[in-house]
Amino acid sequence: MKKRNWTPYWLILPTLIYLALFFAYPMVRGLILSVWDDEASLRLQSTASITSDAAGDLPQGTQIRLLDRQGNLLSDEVADAANLLTEQWFLATGVDVEGNNIEGWVSENRLRIREEAEDGTPIMGTIRRKLGSTADPLTDIHESASSVSPVIAKVEARTELFVQEVATLEVWFQIEGENETGETLTGWVPSRFIQVYGDEESGRIDRANQGAFTLEFFEKMVNDRFFWPAVRTTLLLMLFIIPAQFVLATVMALVIQARLRFNSIFLYIFSIPLGVSDLAVGILFFSIFTQNGLLNSVLQGLGLITQAQPYLTADTRHWILIAIWLAELWRATSIVMVIVVSGLQAISDEVLEAAELFGASFWQRLWHVILPLLKPSLQVALILRTILAVQVFAVVIALSGGDIVTVLANETFRQYFEFRNGNVASAYAVFILALSMLSAVFYLRAVRTQQELS
Amino acid sequence: MSKLTSETIALHKRMQARQKLNRTFAYVTAILIALWILIPIFFIFSMAFTTQETVRSYPKNFLPFIPFSTETMQFFLNSAGIVPGVINSLIVAILTLVISTLIAAPAGYAISRYIFPGRNFFRLSILAVRAFPIVVLSIPLAVLFIRVGMFDSIYSLALMHTALALPTTILVIGSVFASVPYELEEAAQVFGCTPFQAFRHVVLPLVLPGIAASAVFTFVLSWNEVFAASILTVQNRTLPAQVLFALSQSSEAYQFAGGFFMLIPALIFMWFIRKYLFNMWGQVSK
Repeated sequence: MKKRNWTPYWLILPTLIYLALFFAYPMVRGLILSVWDDEASLRLQSTASITSDAAGDLPQGTQIRLLDRQGNLLSDEVADAANLLTEQWFLATGVDVEGNNIEGWVSENRLRIREEAEDGTPIMGTIRRKLGSTADPLTDIHESASSVSPVIAKVEARTELFVQEVATLEVWFQIEGENETGETLTGWVPSRFIQVYGDEESGRIDRANQGAFTLEFFEKMVNDRFFWPAVRTTLLLMLFIIPAQFVLATVMALVIQARLRFNSIFLYIFSIPLGVSDLAVGILFFSIFTQNGLLNSVLQGLGLITQAQPYLTADTRHWILIAIWLAELWRATSIVMVIVVSGLQAISDEVLEAAELFGASFWQRLWHVILPLLKPSLQVALILRTILAVQVFAVVIALSGGDIVTVLANETFRQYFEFRNGNVASAYAVFILALSMLSAVFYLRAVRTQQELS
Repeated sequence: MSKLTSETIALHKRMQARQKLNRTFAYVTAILIALWILIPIFFIFSMAFTTQETVRSYPKNFLPFIPFSTETMQFFLNSAGIVPGVINSLIVAILTLVISTLIAAPAGYAISRYIFPGRNFFRLSILAVRAFPIVVLSIPLAVLFIRVGMFDSIYSLALMHTALALPTTILVIGSVFASVPYELEEAAQVFGCTPFQAFRHVVLPLVLPGIAASAVFTFVLSWNEVFAASILTVQNRTLPAQVLFALSQSSEAYQFAGGFFMLIPALIFMWFIRKYLFNMWGQVSK
């Protein structure tokens, strides 16, 4: 058996790794982001410990009652979370009510610090007096920094204790609230997820830790006031740009293939737009359509108008659309031309000469010989162009500022940048992806039927 | 016999006349299209190199636009964030060019020189990557970069641009390698070269211009990219992102000069790579 040659696999390995890391993975993340709410609900624990059994989930925003509180050792990674409530416990030494020397933990609620080192480290404190006649006058000293750990000694009020060590605890609340089905749940949650109201007895679930599938982001997208205008404009532009582009590109390609004198210079000029950014093209056409721009200057010079006409305003929306249409036609026709020329080069001269010999006119040759043979190239160009047309962005910003006339890519940008909503932005991105695939299929079918009819 | 000849001659003449007409028509079309492309460029060029007063004036004179002055362009280049933006853009574009060429060259060689199981699948997946919109990729990448602490860095932007450029670069480099017959390599080996020497001394000199053309195209792609650059950077903006964010508050002089400045690379580089364009995109479309 022939040994398999592994060389090509080694050669494509870097590409595969790169695309997996920076293409496939983010793509999947993006899809997930649009339908997955990272903070849908908060898990309640049966005791004040993250490892304890779950007592149920309450959705984000639920109004809750606070029943009890307890401290738990704070881990570093949540130390700067918003809403976090902490309490300090001290490892202290002193003399207990029976006269023994003891060492144990006491909460900051029970120990008033009297002496601090220069850097603020507590050195010494006294036990606070308990208020109320029914309360136990003695204070518990615990084995470890937790109110549920065993009591190892009791001390009297005003006893002096020397602080050896400080521990910061995160407060956990035992809360009670109703879930979506109206069931009342009780359980323990860390304070960082809770917003506590002024009365310190109630609050709401501010953040959550359990993800869930949701269509909320798509709903938000569809209900956004810019959504339908954006869809309309994007589709309208696609519908008008692409056919015009294909006609112009085919003409350009035929001119290049005619091998005129200065062909090289014509090719250079025709391909310049291929290297120009959409932002620059937007500005280019802005300079033409702006009120004191080229168009008005020319019209006035020809005596067709007597004063500058406004084009790029909210009242002249159709002019903005025309400007965008022209800008896109200017910019993206080159790439179609290049693809069509490559397709034309693949058509053998003999076929064309044969058609000419049999007396076919130029139009007959174009319609019955060249275009059918170009079909595969045109299809590729169509797919490419549809995808590019769906994401038209900077041209629109440059010509309309992004408010008067808006497109889908612009809304994605707005959701992400202005509203800081990555989920809804992802929903837009997924919508754009779906739209570009659908329209590519639509155009491909349209091309096919037209050819079959002729 | 003679009848046939005279008929043939008449037909020949008719065809010649028609061809001449067609050629004239082609020239007129070519010149019209060239004007359609060049007039906007010339207009913005003259706006970028004039006084700010001329930019504000109305109606503007017909060509040539006088006075010529570097005032507008200087005003643009001295505006806040432009010089750092240009430097950032250059760094991102050069990094993108280097990384994508380094990764794509072996892959391009593999798909042009080896027939291996999975080759077609690899080519198809590359094409599929090319077909995905930038917009779709930017948002999750931004979220991801924020999570791993690589947000707002020109290096992460270069990584993103590389992902965008990689498919085209691979297919183009593949077509460049395919245009050098394998027999040349074999012949060199017959005359005593090691495979590596054959590659180094025979293939490399032949493919270098094509690879350079694809690298230039990658540079232009990165230099022009607006959407991802605006999403992925905040403080370290590239030139297009900087201009985009300044657009709504800036004067027309700033916009016109910026617009022209951004299209300079296209004007220069397209001249050098125009011959390779069909090589590139022809291959991509197959």
